[in-house]
Amino acid sequence: MSPTASGYAIDLQNVTKIYRRRVHALQDVSMRVNRGEIFGLLGPNGAGKSTLVKIMVTVVRPTSAHGTILGHAIGHKATLGRVGYLPENHRFPRYLSGRQVIEFFSALAKADRSMRKKRAAELLDLVGMTAWADTQISQYSKGMLQRVGLAQALGANPDLIILDEPSDGVDPGGRRDIRQVLLHLRQQGATVFINSHLLSELESVCDRVAILVGGKVARQGSVNELTMPKQCYLFELESPTWPAVAATFVGAFDLGAPPAPGRPARGWLQDKSWCEFDGIALRVGRTEAANVQDIIDALRKNNLVIRRMQLIRPSLEDLFFEAMTDLTTQPAALSGARPPPLSGRS
Amino acid sequence: MSQTLALIWDAYRDLNSRRMFWIVLILSALVAASFAAIGVTSTGFKIFTWEIPSPILNSKELSPGDFYKSIFLNYGIGFWLTWLATVLALISTASLFPDFLAGGAVDLYLSKPISRLRLFLTKYACGLLFVGLQIGCFCGASFVVIGLRGGAWEPGIFLAVPIVVLFFSYLFCFCVLIGVWTRSTVAAVLLTFLFWVFTFGVHTTEVTLLTFKLTEESAAARLDKLIQSDQERLANWQRAKATRPTTQNSDYVTMYQNDLKSDRAKRQDMHGSFVRPHAIFYDVKTVLPKTSETVALLERMLISSARLEHVARDRQDDSENSSAELNGNPIPMRELQAEIRSRSVGWIVGTSVGFEAVVLALAAWIFCRRDY
Repeated sequence: MSPTASGYAIDLQNVTKIYRRRVHALQDVSMRVNRGEIFGLLGPNGAGKSTLVKIMVTVVRPTSAHGTILGHAIGHKATLGRVGYLPENHRFPRYLSGRQVIEFFSALAKADRSMRKKRAAELLDLVGMTAWADTQISQYSKGMLQRVGLAQALGANPDLIILDEPSDGVDPGGRRDIRQVLLHLRQQGATVFINSHLLSELESVCDRVAILVGGKVARQGSVNELTMPKQCYLFELESPTWPAVAATFVGAFDLGAPPAPGRPARGWLQDKSWCEFDGIALRVGRTEAANVQDIIDALRKNNLVIRRMQLIRPSLEDLFFEAMTDLTTQPAALSGARPPPLSGRS
Repeated sequence: MSQTLALIWDAYRDLNSRRMFWIVLILSALVAASFAAIGVTSTGFKIFTWEIPSPILNSKELSPGDFYKSIFLNYGIGFWLTWLATVLALISTASLFPDFLAGGAVDLYLSKPISRLRLFLTKYACGLLFVGLQIGCFCGASFVVIGLRGGAWEPGIFLAVPIVVLFFSYLFCFCVLIGVWTRSTVAAVLLTFLFWVFTFGVHTTEVTLLTFKLTEESAAARLDKLIQSDQERLANWQRAKATRPTTQNSDYVTMYQNDLKSDRAKRQDMHGSFVRPHAIFYDVKTVLPKTSETVALLERMLISSARLEHVARDRQDDSENSSAELNGNPIPMRELQAEIRSRSVGWIVGTSVGFEAVVLALAAWIFCRRDY
């Protein structure tokens, strides 16, 4: 069922932030996060990710913004009681223990006293910090602080959890644990919004992602939706010659001469699917095995030996770098209009 | 309410974790304990077993209770609480807001369902809690010492708590403004001390100019009287000279004419040169917090509540009887004291609290409007 406008956990429309009347941190950012999903926000440094997150939790005031968080206007203070937040480079009071951190910030989120105590114990157990619960956090490692930080964000049993770089400084084991917690939260019906640099991590847990570049949303959608237009079949050929390839796909390529290194020949087949030849491998923008049988036949007919054939699925990293290099920052709907880069993952 | 309580409880834990809090508390305890080390005898007073003769501080002039209350007033409040302990408290609390506003710390608070203004004001109140606790403990200890050693159980001592907290709040609000504005503890401490010196300087200058003004006014009034007397005597001698012209009469007329001329010349030189500068400094002082006068209020209130009027009267008599002079003119101490005492509690506290409100409003505005 498609969520209604008020049914979104986060529904941001035209969020703009201009610092000191000069720096355009965010430009008309629109983003929707469904309830009960894990949503990933990625982008290079300075893309405006943290600014966007801070606007959602009222730490930064937007220059202009419309939309809702959990059905209430952005900036509605009471709603923040239902939002858990872990900031990047957080600094908890050094004189508190892990348990006190969770209880204190739960109290600020207006959680009941009895619930705070019970919940703190549960959360410490969830993040594997029970043994260190009553130790002052000044003695914690970075990874332990992140675990307690995550528990703190969950203290008031929020409906929406916003995590800014939750895996920052955490070892691989800790990252796996955090991933498990996020999946557990999704199972419980909570919405999780993660801002992270770790693309592989986002890819493994996020239902949907948005890529922010230069203060604008460059891509937005589910990982599958975003990568589908970039999927292709790769045919690695045995000593192919340009005349043979050109003869196989007459009129398809934009080059009359053999492709130079780094400058593949690109074109369109008769069924409007894209194709690309870099001198060794041929890529065709089709995703079904049944749809590439004619390509195999054509190659074999022209005595081109197929050494390897593989379905290529671009990774989130590929999308990320493509969005970064795409200076025009095309909207998500148009993504896939151009052939994908050479790198990829099967 | 649970949020406010959580913030207050957190502030207490924060203070507890600060070494300076305990250092000041221990020093306060030592100061209070030192009162117990001082005893009063019929010939003077003694520190432990060392006797110091004094014509004023002895059991004939002062009862043991009044003796300890006067020590509490002069040294406990006047020296320890309003100077040394305040300096230590400022150093200790100056980092409260800069630490709170550090990246990654303030985000955690602002992302909770609590308004920025409430957060700011609660944090500010928590800063004052530091001084409140310190003074409360000091007054409690002094109350016990004065009760046990002097036999006077004087609850009026606890008036020091609100008044010294009020005095501290004048400085702390400025410290908070600088802390919120610059987010630097060092800047907050240094500029607050500078501000304190400035207000003290304005206060001292105003009192000095008032002394000059009153001395001049007093001298002018004296000269006016003298001129009037010269004129009367001259008129008498001129009448005598007219009816009985003698050499002696003529000499007196000449002498009084010269005196009158000289006094008139002196009077002409006095044209209220301190009135305008004093008015300017008084106006400047009006908008500034009155730290010294607020503490003096405590003295006023404690003296009356602790039935120490005679201590105050003696002190006033001493200053009135002093032979201090300014440009050869005696300082009218009685008028000076009367003028200073005529300044109402409303003026002293009202204008100071007004200043505090403006500074706090500015700091709150910066805090509430800023992006973190």
